[in-house]
Amino acid sequence: MQYRLDLIVKPAEGALVRVIGMVERRGFVPRAVHATPHADGRWCLQLLVESPRAIETLRHQLEKVYDCESVSVSADARDAVTGVAA
Amino acid sequence: MNATTATAPRNGARWIAHALETEGVETIFGYPGGTIMPFYDALVDSTLKHILVRHEQGAALAANGYARASGKVGVCVATSGPGASNLVTGIADAMLDSVPMVCLTGQVATPLIGTDAFQELDVFGMTMPIVKHSFLVRSVDDLPRVMAEAFRIAREGRPGPVLVDLPKDVQVNDASHLPDHVPAAVQPPPAPADAALAEALAAIAGAEKPVVYGGGGIALAGAVDAFRQFVEASGIPTVLTLRGLGALPANHANYLGMLGMHGTRAANMAVQESDLLIVVGARFDDRATGKLAEFAPFARVIHLDADAYEISKLRTADIAIPGDVTTGLQALTSARSTCDAWKARCASHRERFGFRYDAPGADIYAPALLKRLSEVAPSDTIIACDVGQHQMWVAQHCKFNHPRNHLTSGALGTMGFGLPAAMGAQFACPDRTVVLVSGDGSFMMNVQELATIARTRMPVKIVLLDNSALGMVRQWQELFFAERYSEIDLSDNPDFAALAKVFGIPARRIDQRDQVDDALAELLATPGPAMLHVAIDIKANVWPLVPPNHANSSMLESNPAKTVTEPTSHAIPA
Repeated sequence: MQYRLDLIVKPAEGALVRVIGMVERRGFVPRAVHATPHADGRWCLQLLVESPRAIETLRHQLEKVYDCESVSVSADARDAVTGVAA
Repeated sequence: MNATTATAPRNGARWIAHALETEGVETIFGYPGGTIMPFYDALVDSTLKHILVRHEQGAALAANGYARASGKVGVCVATSGPGASNLVTGIADAMLDSVPMVCLTGQVATPLIGTDAFQELDVFGMTMPIVKHSFLVRSVDDLPRVMAEAFRIAREGRPGPVLVDLPKDVQVNDASHLPDHVPAAVQPPPAPADAALAEALAAIAGAEKPVVYGGGGIALAGAVDAFRQFVEASGIPTVLTLRGLGALPANHANYLGMLGMHGTRAANMAVQESDLLIVVGARFDDRATGKLAEFAPFARVIHLDADAYEISKLRTADIAIPGDVTTGLQALTSARSTCDAWKARCASHRERFGFRYDAPGADIYAPALLKRLSEVAPSDTIIACDVGQHQMWVAQHCKFNHPRNHLTSGALGTMGFGLPAAMGAQFACPDRTVVLVSGDGSFMMNVQELATIARTRMPVKIVLLDNSALGMVRQWQELFFAERYSEIDLSDNPDFAALAKVFGIPARRIDQRDQVDDALAELLATPGPAMLHVAIDIKANVWPLVPPNHANSSMLESNPAKTVTEPTSHAIPA
């Protein structure tokens, strides 16, 4: 099952690595990654991930990442993740 | 103005020491080295009490034990490079058992970061998966925000370790312009939803075979009193996890024992037969559930936890109650369970399947010794242990009246945890009796901390159970690897009593069970640190045991290859 994650991440040192590392450690495979900076420096991060595991568990875990300000999840939306081929 | 600002211009290191003092930190554990030297210079003028360990892993685990016993944030310090990497196991242990810690590491000066400088190590990157959060401080101006956030994050919600990596120039640079440290407020967890609580009350009232399954999250949430009131009021049979032990006194009428791989028969069978599990601060760990798909197969689940992530992670909750555990339990205390026949059945099983201590022979039977230790030590004794067979015997046979009295490396299973953790606990609770129960394998992993205990005269009492082997590995090789013993022999152990004496710690060795009472009395009466070295049978195993990937209903009571006993399964005999 594939899911799209939309995250707002603080521009803190290590923040992007922390988020993507969390995705992999919790059993989800990143299939596409796209990050763009807001004007205020925060990252708008889109991830397409795949796993048989429940996405809600990953969402809750990402919400606990200190640098992660928001997380939203939608079902497979491969075309919506831009910049990197899925 | 405090000690660190009174005597010298305030640089970054002095500001950090001031911040620790303001946070209420009194004792820190560490080891100096090149890049952390400015901080150690600041300590000279600080009120902080620094305990010089003999290995950085000892510092992290001592801070870990300090935090577990006290509920306060434990603080450890190391230099960059190997000093920092030696902290890693202690940090990971704190992360997996939700222990609040702040770990300060020196780092090479900011211009040298990324140049492979001497003792440069990316500890910030190395520890990302094993910290609740971490900071690499690039400027002295960031210190007020970072230090306040480090302590807030370590304490707030589900506690955990926070690493603060401190480049040497940040420690040296002028910090006289920085305001005094102000601790950040910790936000309480949200209140549970009323609708979920109402649903839970109805489920409890309608259940015929309810069981309370409590874990380490009870103490972490400060909910021990509320938990006891709920169990008392409802009268529901209760089981606890390894980390939950003490949430209910071991002699409580509702208590059935620890569940899981080495749990009691009464606890495991009650859970397997249950039609309603009320899970409080537990996370369905595999050592507790056995084969998850066959765990509590008839039960609906009510799950209370401060960490919403744990709810429905491994077992879907029928009624999810994230948020403040105390508030949730208080709301459920009006629940009345009328399943008297079920309660009586559970109580009879507890009596019927209780542990026996009448093992034949004159050798020392470790479960009986630990039971006796628990009887003769003061009721508020803190017992720390290491990892292996003795750890499970402590869980099974020692009686705890509060979870913070039982220091055990539950999730990471860190051999070498016990000695530094006991030392840390003794610093946190100097007026309490602290006993370390260790095994000969684990003990040697941080044996150097005997020097720290000897130096500080911390009165830790050490009970070293020595079977001259890696006992738990040996047990698994016996049971599950056709007795093909591989690298478990420790028959060339040193003379542990002599070793302790070399460190200046009085010690005695015993090997006969008629020596136990006298030796325990002598150990507990000895001023300062002391060791009791106990020789036990290499063939002694931990029972019961649920084989890996089996349901908790399949409990071995002995080696099936050597007896006619088969794994017992399914329902408890009537």
